[in-house]
Amino acid sequence: MLAALELRHVSKSFGRFHAVQDLSLSVPAGSVYGFLGPNGAGKTTSLRIILGMLSPDSGELSVLGSPSAMSVRNRVGYLPEEKGLYSKMTAASVIAYFATLKGLSSTRANQRARELLGRYGLGAFADKKVETLSKGMGQKVQVLASIAHDPELVLLDEPFSGLDPVNQEVLEEILVDLKARGCTILFSTHVMSHVERLCDRLIILGGGRGLFEGTVSEARSLLPIRITLETAEASPLLEILPGVRSMEAQSSNRWRLELEPGASASAVLESCFERSLRLRRFDVQDPDLHEVFVHLVGPSARETALR
Amino acid sequence: MRNALLIAVREFLDNTQTRGFWFGILLVPLLWLVASQVPLILARKGTPTRHVALIDTTAGERLFDVVLDQLKTAESRRELFHFREWAASRLKPGQALPAVDKQPQAWSRLQEDLGPLMKADAGQFAPPAPLNRLIALPAELQWRGDLSEFEGRLRDWMRAGRLFKPVGVDEEVPLFAVAILQDGLTSNAPPILRFWSVNQADTQLQDRLVDALSRNFRSREYSRLGMDSSSIARVEGSQAQLMSFNPRKAEGEEQVGVADLLRQWAPSAFVYLLWIAVFSISQMLLNSLIEERSNRILEVLLSSVTPLELMTGKLVGVAAVGAVMTLGWIGSLVLMTFWTLHTAGAAAMAADSIAHRLPLELATLLLDSWLLPAFVLYFLLGYLFYAAVILALGSTCNNLKEAQNFTGVIALLMMVPLVSITFIPKDPNGPVATVLSWIPPYTPFVMMNRVAANPPLREVIGTLVLLLLSDVAVLWGCARIFKTAVLRTGQPASLVQLARWVLGRD
Repeated sequence: MLAALELRHVSKSFGRFHAVQDLSLSVPAGSVYGFLGPNGAGKTTSLRIILGMLSPDSGELSVLGSPSAMSVRNRVGYLPEEKGLYSKMTAASVIAYFATLKGLSSTRANQRARELLGRYGLGAFADKKVETLSKGMGQKVQVLASIAHDPELVLLDEPFSGLDPVNQEVLEEILVDLKARGCTILFSTHVMSHVERLCDRLIILGGGRGLFEGTVSEARSLLPIRITLETAEASPLLEILPGVRSMEAQSSNRWRLELEPGASASAVLESCFERSLRLRRFDVQDPDLHEVFVHLVGPSARETALR
Repeated sequence: MRNALLIAVREFLDNTQTRGFWFGILLVPLLWLVASQVPLILARKGTPTRHVALIDTTAGERLFDVVLDQLKTAESRRELFHFREWAASRLKPGQALPAVDKQPQAWSRLQEDLGPLMKADAGQFAPPAPLNRLIALPAELQWRGDLSEFEGRLRDWMRAGRLFKPVGVDEEVPLFAVAILQDGLTSNAPPILRFWSVNQADTQLQDRLVDALSRNFRSREYSRLGMDSSSIARVEGSQAQLMSFNPRKAEGEEQVGVADLLRQWAPSAFVYLLWIAVFSISQMLLNSLIEERSNRILEVLLSSVTPLELMTGKLVGVAAVGAVMTLGWIGSLVLMTFWTLHTAGAAAMAADSIAHRLPLELATLLLDSWLLPAFVLYFLLGYLFYAAVILALGSTCNNLKEAQNFTGVIALLMMVPLVSITFIPKDPNGPVATVLSWIPPYTPFVMMNRVAANPPLREVIGTLVLLLLSDVAVLWGCARIFKTAVLRTGQPASLVQLARWVLGRD
């Protein structure tokens, strides 16, 4: 699949601080891509490099086939981490204004603004000044402003932060709609459930470097599968189950197993039956993305937080 | 450049769609109007009647009548002024008011005489209340022959701010002043006026009394010395006639008139406008930039436009705001002049009076001179210089408080042309004016102020070229600072850092 966005060995420093180091990633066209990392991991700097607001010290990038986002800026949408709008403008006019800056005619931009506001539940607020809207509404307006020109690539920096659960659902709906019409989406977030639900691929950054890049299931496979197993009576045979890396006895007939990387839970279950173990419980727990994230960035994130 | 234009349009609409902007446009002509009309309105009806007592302690010639005559004459002149103004605004079209320079026995009689010239609905003239009314002191303040004892009682009375009802007055009033007339220290010395009043700011009455007493004393002295006092008064009243000529004017038209004075001082008014315009719109620019910076709107904008497009758009948009503002001021000034002429009753004025000629002279001056083109040129060049600096410095600040550290210094630097407004027209081609003209941030203001004095052409061109080059250099440097600083967060940049950004070393 063609890449809508590609970074190859990109680095950027500010004085002695290395904000981004040797970062490489590839975002397939039409996919949803998660951009994860703790605070200070280099996410915003990377996004600014992608958008052409900052020049990398070294490395190459390709945005919709162009070496610079500025030459394809009308095909790219962007929502920054810290949200803000012109408080005296109306919701419709502010969306239309940003759409005209992305090449739409004034008439078309106004049409699109009202169409989007109507579709996502803000039709009644189209002519209200931004300063009169709630924070969540304002944030939705800004998301709509970043996509009003029908971009092929959308970069969203922490789009879910500050939204209540209902509006988070609306935003998910917006992202699903964008994907459905072929738009490539890259978004950063600290909420792993959004990544698990929405992303085809993801990258986890730490200390300015890419620590992992791949699919959600590939990320999960970085940590061992865990099984809670309970038998009707105490059994000494457990130690010889296949693929078990470690075992913690929680009682005389209850254990917590951790499998070797690549080992399968079904093989363990099959082996239990072969040994005629009378199972009362066989509970498989796949590692979630949160655990993978903490496992990968934990030490460096703590360092950053304490600095 | 489409995006720069879109930003300019938004900037223009954002600034002009506020009440504050239109209030600012109205404020300047309003201030002019107030400054020109308030003294007239006060002269008509503003000052209440002041109650004054007079005590004549002189032994020789009684001076009471002298002072009384003076007060009566002043009141009579005032009534006459009001009558002329009243009658002028009620004349039939095409009629002129004949000379009325003496108070008639009765105003109604004079009004009857002027009847054929007046409109049918002219009504009756009511003389204004007197400015100063001479009254008798209350019983507690009766003169008992001892000055210090009297002044003691008077001081206590006036300090207490007491009110009383003088004879012939229906209400209780305060005592505005007590004038005590005393003989001079020697027989040939002029009399002394001891003037007691809590209002020491308005010296009109005491000046008038001193003038009457002095004239009376001089006249008496002339008679005592055997001189004809009436001849002397006539001679003293005469004055040399001034005819001023300017050799730079066309042959046969060298005499200096109102139009020339207008030409000489109009540039100063334009410099003042220029200063207010540059100063206020630079502030608008800073506010708008700081709003976008603190809201992080800049980041969204910079994903759509280049920093240069953004800076250009903002500069052009705010320049258009400044243009509307100054056009509003100049337009309202012209309209106000014509309105003043209209309300003053054009027909009542002599065709060659200053008030009648002023609007025409002003219009001629604006259309036929270099004032307007020079104003537009220097406005643009001066604005670009200051606006670029403001944008660059503003882009390094996170909020208005941080920005005020920079703008305070710029405001101080901008005080120099403001202070120079009055002294440059007096020596427009002198060394101070010349030196200031060659300092680019001051060139627009100083050269604008020198327009009427025809400065040497080499200076006009030289300073203009230097200003243009400075604008280009400042815009280039500031664009580099803007580009680097605009997305930066944290502490405002130091001067060293700014220099490094300009040189592209960061």
